[in-house]
Amino acid sequence: MTTMSPNALCFGDEFPAAGAPCLVQVEEHGLTITFASDPADGQPESVPYSSLAVSAGGLDHDQLVVKWAGEKGERTLYLKNPDVIRAFRETVPSHLSLPFAQAAEQVRQVRHRRRLVWSLAGGMILSTVLGLWFGSDILVEIAVSRIPVEWEQKLGESAYRDFLSHQEVMKEGPAVAALGEMTQRMTAQILDNPYKFEVTVVKSDVVNAFALPGGYVVVFTGLMKKAESGEEVAGVLSHELNHVLQRHGLERIVKSLGIMTVAAIVFGNQQGLVGMMKQLGVELFTLKFGREQETEADLKGLQLLQRAKIDPAGMITFFERLSEKDEGRMEWLSTHPMNAARADRLKAELAALPKKSPEPFTFDWKQVQVSLGSQPVVAP
Amino acid sequence: MKSEILYPGAFPMVRVELEAGENIKAESGAMVACSPTIDIESKMEGGFLGALSRKFLTGEKFFFQTLRATRGPGEALLAPTVPGEIVILELDGVNDYMVQKDGFLAGAEGIVIENKMQGLSRGLLGGEGFFILNISGKGMLVLNSFGAIHKIELKPNQEYIVDNSHLVAWSSTTSYNIEKATSGWVASFTSGEGFVCRFRGPGLVFIQSRNPGSFGAWIRQFIPVSE
Repeated sequence: MTTMSPNALCFGDEFPAAGAPCLVQVEEHGLTITFASDPADGQPESVPYSSLAVSAGGLDHDQLVVKWAGEKGERTLYLKNPDVIRAFRETVPSHLSLPFAQAAEQVRQVRHRRRLVWSLAGGMILSTVLGLWFGSDILVEIAVSRIPVEWEQKLGESAYRDFLSHQEVMKEGPAVAALGEMTQRMTAQILDNPYKFEVTVVKSDVVNAFALPGGYVVVFTGLMKKAESGEEVAGVLSHELNHVLQRHGLERIVKSLGIMTVAAIVFGNQQGLVGMMKQLGVELFTLKFGREQETEADLKGLQLLQRAKIDPAGMITFFERLSEKDEGRMEWLSTHPMNAARADRLKAELAALPKKSPEPFTFDWKQVQVSLGSQPVVAP
Repeated sequence: MKSEILYPGAFPMVRVELEAGENIKAESGAMVACSPTIDIESKMEGGFLGALSRKFLTGEKFFFQTLRATRGPGEALLAPTVPGEIVILELDGVNDYMVQKDGFLAGAEGIVIENKMQGLSRGLLGGEGFFILNISGKGMLVLNSFGAIHKIELKPNQEYIVDNSHLVAWSSTTSYNIEKATSGWVASFTSGEGFVCRFRGPGLVFIQSRNPGSFGAWIRQFIPVSE
């Protein structure tokens, strides 16, 4: 045998401490061990089964340890090659089968215990995270109710100023006046309003509008060009105002902060907390409101329109129209998924509300749109 | 492939002679100098996910570099980042080693490097973290340490106690338990040792004579605190 590939390590007094690599062959009468180190007197050593003792050992208790008293002192063999172990197990005589089974049982127990510990630890982490994510609504509400409005305004304002500094803001004109009138009519109907709403028109073809915590609302001219009446814009505005009134943005922030804190505790990343605070500013713009929050803003928005004597049908028609058309990119829809169920719910809600005769706006919507540089919208 | 340790002691280097076509993989940034016949390739050992998990789980570098003698024989000089000794081991396909995350410097082509997850108590208290490198295969393996490397040879069932975070590498035939350094909890920490690893043979345990964490804590007091 010129080239042999060892499959086990043999330990004994005359061997190095790292063990002597050797080739173990399983035969009928016992084990034959050929050492790699001395091919000159490479007489294979035969050990009968009767003199062997087996157990489990090694770092993870996953190796088969075979011991016997050799001519030159005690020998210990560490086997981990599955083929050899299987062959050994199949030919093993009856007196060894019990210790063999015990060794196998030991390996199983170690693995089982390890799996158990890990699944317990994993389960605890998972349930903490899940608990915070799903079962935390009450905690979040308590936390949010304890945050003063001033804080909320500061938080929203810094993000708002930062956003506007990169945008072309429309300071005056019919569009600004029209939005001002809508805001005024609606806010007059909000009881105990702690917010001073600030609505800004930003020149951009993006069909979108968003609200930041603290009462900062941005409406893009793209959305105003798309709307066929002032009532439709008022519908979107009412929806956004109610995100602010219900403190939805704050709820999301508190929730994601909670998750981040748990993550930071679990993974021990202290740097992450700092980066997280910085990212929060960016986060405000990408905040996706949860489904429940959207529904709440829809329904409350509808009621607000009703109280302000603005025709609530505009809200529904605008939503429907946006969802039907797939021309262009409807940014507002990407964060406000529109579906039939949502429109139907609004219609049902509208039917349940007491009928009020709407009062028209003082501005002419077509003129507002012309002032934005848009051709009067032709119905498709 | 022949290798030799130059300047043994605190600031050693390894010189590896490569035959034409041979290659060696090394920790990213380990190459100090090499012959012009040698090409340096950056390689994500174990594929992208393997590299990613190694980076995040063990803190080892994302990329390994492969030094390949493509244009004829040549030599390369390799050195670790931290001051400390280097040891060269020969793997024969049967003996494999667990190596703590900063211990790997270089390995021959036939060396297989895998991440291995430790048990909960070993991971939390052993000082090496949850993930260590399991290095097996055939060929030369170069390890580095912080401080000097000391080899402990254990006979079957012989025990030895090592303070955690002094471990560099240990054979898979050894096993260890984490225990308190002294019998009492308070004394365990006031003695400055906290937890220790009780190793049981047979096999080899390589330890480093300095503890990187303690050294970091010690040096921190001299670093001026800026805003």
